[in-house]
Amino acid sequence: MVRSALGRPDARLNKGPRAGADYVPAISVVIGSLLSLLPIVSASGWWPDFGLLMLLGWRLLRADAWPAWWAAPLGFVNDLLAGNPIGLSIALWSAMMIAMDILDRRTMWRDYWIEWAIATLFIVLAELAQWRVAAVLGAGVPFNTSALPAIIVSVLCFPVAAFLASRIDRWRLGR
Amino acid sequence: MAASAGPRPGWSRRAQYSLFFSFLAVVAGLAVGLILLILSLVAPQSYAAVRGAALDATAPISSGLSEVTTTVTGMFSGAGNYWDAANQNAQLKRDRAALMRRMVEARAILEENQQLKAALQLRERSAEAVAAGRVVGSSFESPRRFAVISVGTSDGVQVGMPVRAPEGLIGRVIDAGSLASRVLLVTDRANIVPARILKGGQPVISTGRGDGTIDVRPLEVGRNPFRPGDIIVTSGTGGLYPPLVPIAKVIRLDDDGAIALPIADPSKVSFAIVEPPYEPAALAAAAQSAGEER
Repeated sequence: MVRSALGRPDARLNKGPRAGADYVPAISVVIGSLLSLLPIVSASGWWPDFGLLMLLGWRLLRADAWPAWWAAPLGFVNDLLAGNPIGLSIALWSAMMIAMDILDRRTMWRDYWIEWAIATLFIVLAELAQWRVAAVLGAGVPFNTSALPAIIVSVLCFPVAAFLASRIDRWRLGR
Repeated sequence: MAASAGPRPGWSRRAQYSLFFSFLAVVAGLAVGLILLILSLVAPQSYAAVRGAALDATAPISSGLSEVTTTVTGMFSGAGNYWDAANQNAQLKRDRAALMRRMVEARAILEENQQLKAALQLRERSAEAVAAGRVVGSSFESPRRFAVISVGTSDGVQVGMPVRAPEGLIGRVIDAGSLASRVLLVTDRANIVPARILKGGQPVISTGRGDGTIDVRPLEVGRNPFRPGDIIVTSGTGGLYPPLVPIAKVIRLDDDGAIALPIADPSKVSFAIVEPPYEPAALAAAAQSAGEER
């Protein structure tokens, strides 16, 4: 008798991943980008870039969440939804995928703090790039009142994104 | 936990190739992204159509969610209004009586003003609104200050048109979809508004600071003309914004200018009114500069 016959009828033993499990990570990143449509009218832009956080959460959790090049279309969606200059997230997110591939080969050891540190590095680079691009486009706001609070908020929000990615990963794989 | 060494394709030639092509594709994605980014830095108008389409696709979501939050907050504030209603009622009646007296005086002044203007043969340009919509979202995750309003080209909105609320100036349209448009707020660094101090009429320049406040500088170097509490209004110079629309209220002075708070808070205004440019000839120039400044 197979082990799954012993469990509850709704148990997912021996059933394998859910349908469309390959697309769940990418969809969760798009949903993160969609959060920028929330009807929040804020005086300052300190909220985190949820699409980027989900992307980092997934990529740090698994190397095979999606083929690396999916970062480019995901970035395009994020640019359109968040109103960024088109190309900013495409370039940044693709560069992050390449950087993560290199990091995966170089790092011998990975724990929670190292993942948070890597995510912090990427968040800082992304916010700095966004800040520089805004300055090039004629909106050179001071670093301390725009990019710095955004970096701190994003870094503190990353564990939530990492937790969500790991829970969604367990759900999609039917564990 | 040891690091995952990336996807291991094993001995399968097919898996190895697919991994390699995926790597080539992400490098291509990086190159395409950089090219698109450079294009959007040097020629932002080239994406007007795709940005407008994205606004149209997402506007119903934002508008729907915005309706929900408005209803929920309305229920709470509506319930709050019943609290202490008798005292509020008495207070409002007193205020109304006082305002009635002020209104009669104002009407007399208005009459006199019209007579004087007729004597001087000044032409009055009445700006009728193009469209009125709600502010349904903002760029809360970027250093730029944009808001999304629920009217677009199907309502007659065009890129470059000034947007105001009954309270004061909000900004100007920089992206127009057919159902929604994106507004460059007066608090954005790239939004420079020719203005003047209401009391005294000294010309000043208002620039956003990106953090919800506005930086105002006098055009003429010299003594700092600002006092805390001064109201800054548009001057109408340049022809885009109509004159005498309130922009901001000075809260703090710095060495040669002042920091001001916008009078029309986009998160609180009930309606955003899109107006035609004060001088219609300014629309083309404004569309041009809006494209360059985005």
